[in-house]
Amino acid sequence: MGQIKLSNVKKSFGAIDVLHGIDLDIRDGELVVFVGPSGCGKSTLLRAIAGLEKITSGDIEIDGRNVNSVTAADRGLAMVFQSYALYPHMSVRQNLAFGLENARMPKAEIDKRIMEAARMLEIEPYLKRRPGQLSGGQRQRVAIGRAIVRSPVGFLLDEPLSNLDAELRVSTRAELAALHARLKATMIYVTHDQVEAMTLADRIVVLRSGRIEQVGTPLELYNTPGNRFVAGFIGAPHMNFLQAAVENARPGHAVLSLPDGSRLEVDAGRQVLQQGAALTLGVRPQHLTLGKGNRSLRATVRMIEALGSETVLHTELGGQKLLVVLPGQHRFSPGSEIDLSLDAAPLHFFDEKGLRLETSV
Amino acid sequence: MTVSNADKPTLPERLGTIVKTPVGVVMGLIDAPMRALQRLTGLSGMALFFLAPNMLIFGIFVLLPLGINVVYSVTGGSALFLPERTYVGGDQYARLFDCGNYLDALTCQEDAFWTAVGNTFWFVVLQVTFMILAALVTALILNRNLAARSFWRAVFFFPVLLSPVVVGLIWRWILQRQGLLNFILYPFGMEPYNWLTDRDWSFMAAVGVSLWAHMGFYTLILLAGLQAIPKDLYEAAAMDGTRPGRVFWRITLPLLAPNLIVVIVLALIRAVQVFDEVYILTGGGPGTSTLFLTQYIYETGFVSQPRNPGLAAAASILMGLVLVVLTLLQLGLGKRGENKGKRR
Ligand SMILES: Nc1ncnc2c1ncn2[C@@H]1O[C@H](COP(=O)(O)OP(=O)(O)OP(=O)(O)O)[C@@H](O)[C@H]1O
Ligand SMILES: [Mg+2]
Repeated sequence: MGQIKLSNVKKSFGAIDVLHGIDLDIRDGELVVFVGPSGCGKSTLLRAIAGLEKITSGDIEIDGRNVNSVTAADRGLAMVFQSYALYPHMSVRQNLAFGLENARMPKAEIDKRIMEAARMLEIEPYLKRRPGQLSGGQRQRVAIGRAIVRSPVGFLLDEPLSNLDAELRVSTRAELAALHARLKATMIYVTHDQVEAMTLADRIVVLRSGRIEQVGTPLELYNTPGNRFVAGFIGAPHMNFLQAAVENARPGHAVLSLPDGSRLEVDAGRQVLQQGAALTLGVRPQHLTLGKGNRSLRATVRMIEALGSETVLHTELGGQKLLVVLPGQHRFSPGSEIDLSLDAAPLHFFDEKGLRLETSV
Repeated sequence: MTVSNADKPTLPERLGTIVKTPVGVVMGLIDAPMRALQRLTGLSGMALFFLAPNMLIFGIFVLLPLGINVVYSVTGGSALFLPERTYVGGDQYARLFDCGNYLDALTCQEDAFWTAVGNTFWFVVLQVTFMILAALVTALILNRNLAARSFWRAVFFFPVLLSPVVVGLIWRWILQRQGLLNFILYPFGMEPYNWLTDRDWSFMAAVGVSLWAHMGFYTLILLAGLQAIPKDLYEAAAMDGTRPGRVFWRITLPLLAPNLIVVIVLALIRAVQVFDEVYILTGGGPGTSTLFLTQYIYETGFVSQPRNPGLAAAASILMGLVLVVLTLLQLGLGKRGENKGKRR
């Protein structure tokens, strides 16, 4: 119960194509996170799955049943809206009961479910209040409670934490993870916060301009991003990209020339790099270390951000920016030159189209 | 601002200067006397100074006539000028209330007054009920994603912009014996009928024409209220599997209630004052079948022979009391709505 399968789902609003053919298989009990920049179609895709938006073409199946022409209510899914969408004139209890009353559920059963959900979400003291008399975090719980009482086969959450302050967000995030572990229901979670995505997801779906860029576990996306966009999107601060040219390529081995004129010897794995080809070298700010190594770069420090536990260096290398995150506290003066070693760093290579080149370091 | 910009002002800057310069000159001129005045009167005195023009106009054109009206209502005779009138105390009121049986206007000394009261009562009940229902239904339809929505919205609002006299004339042309309605019905075998000389039809025409003339205004308020209801509540209701009727009764109506109450009270206040378009349409007839309070007051005070300004004044004070009650109701409900808004 709770498998959702999308095949070539397309959606246009008039002449505007928003989703360009989405294929996705969501397993039962999985927590899948949709991430992507604003306007990429996350909400539209979620609403299409919910049945609030009619798709232009393609198929949506829930537990093997095609639901293209099934109404939102009959898809067995529950939605938590970004604005919570609680009925302002009803008490919390009435909000929770509303959907169940629609289904003509016996009163005793409704009460039982409300009490269960209220206990789970710790909103029992507020059942008599109206949404306007609750804090943002409490409203958020009620919104989740309204979804839970219906015992749906899947939960759809559209940026459920975006109206909460930073601290509450972190704790609610943890509660959501616990809730998922407890309910074992399928959840689709939309966010543009990649930390939320990394911490919550079983699998992340990265969307851009209505297309899926990559699907994978958080660590898969972090370790082997399929293209430059995903590499730049997952991880904070985002990955450094340096333009490089292949200078001397032999099977399994290549020498890259970097914009500052330095050379870098890399193990090209199974990949045969083309002599003279331009490529992008990606390296995460946290993977650079201080000092000279077998492979190192010389960069000029432009700005320093001391965060206490770590130091963020904004450096420059042959006109390209290079961000370095060093653990602990360091002192540098702007303008000084430093050596950065790549020896411990996983390197990522992307071709001119931005696609990943499979190499080992 | 950079130096290069400073010597070449942009168009908005130039316009700003054009507006600012005369204001600056005037301000400079009145600055000194104002300061002197403030030193003389203190800060609260200044507030009174600025309020005075408004209060003066309000006093002369509203408060004073109101007071004079009260005085008239305790005087008798047909003279128009106050010094020529005699004091009669509460006689005018007593005359209005002198009835054998309050349920039968004909047993009253001032039977026209009570006929007008009865007519006005039924007019208010029917006109407000049907108009609000029609406005609500229209607003609900306009609130859908209808093609050419702004066009339809304008269509329903246009009658509101017409002068009441024009409304009355238009509908007289439609409803009179040689009018448009009979012209349309004639091919269907209807004999020409003078709708406006039939007691029941003319009353219904008064209700219908006034409904037509004012409905657009209330439709617009209700439509604004409907559009203020967040769309995602309806989506949540759709996810909850709510049937359309239940969506209306449990979501739309409660959330529209504050607007609806305001609209009803406003409509009540205006319906009690019904006069102009109906007066043009039927002149109060046939007989007294469309005689309403305002017309009664006007005719008693200025038209009838002998005229009786005192009696008219007394009747208008009674009508004023009804309006005061309705206005207080509206203010009270408005305040409650505001407080509710704050909590949300
Ligand atoms: N009803 C609509 N009519 C026309 N275009 C729409 C409509 N709804 C969404 N769009 C367009 O579809 C695109 C995707 O919108 P969507 O709301 O799915 O983005 P999103 O990924 O959820 O963005 P965000 O992170 O800002 O919420 C946007 O370019 C938006 O302008
Ligand atoms: Mg969105």
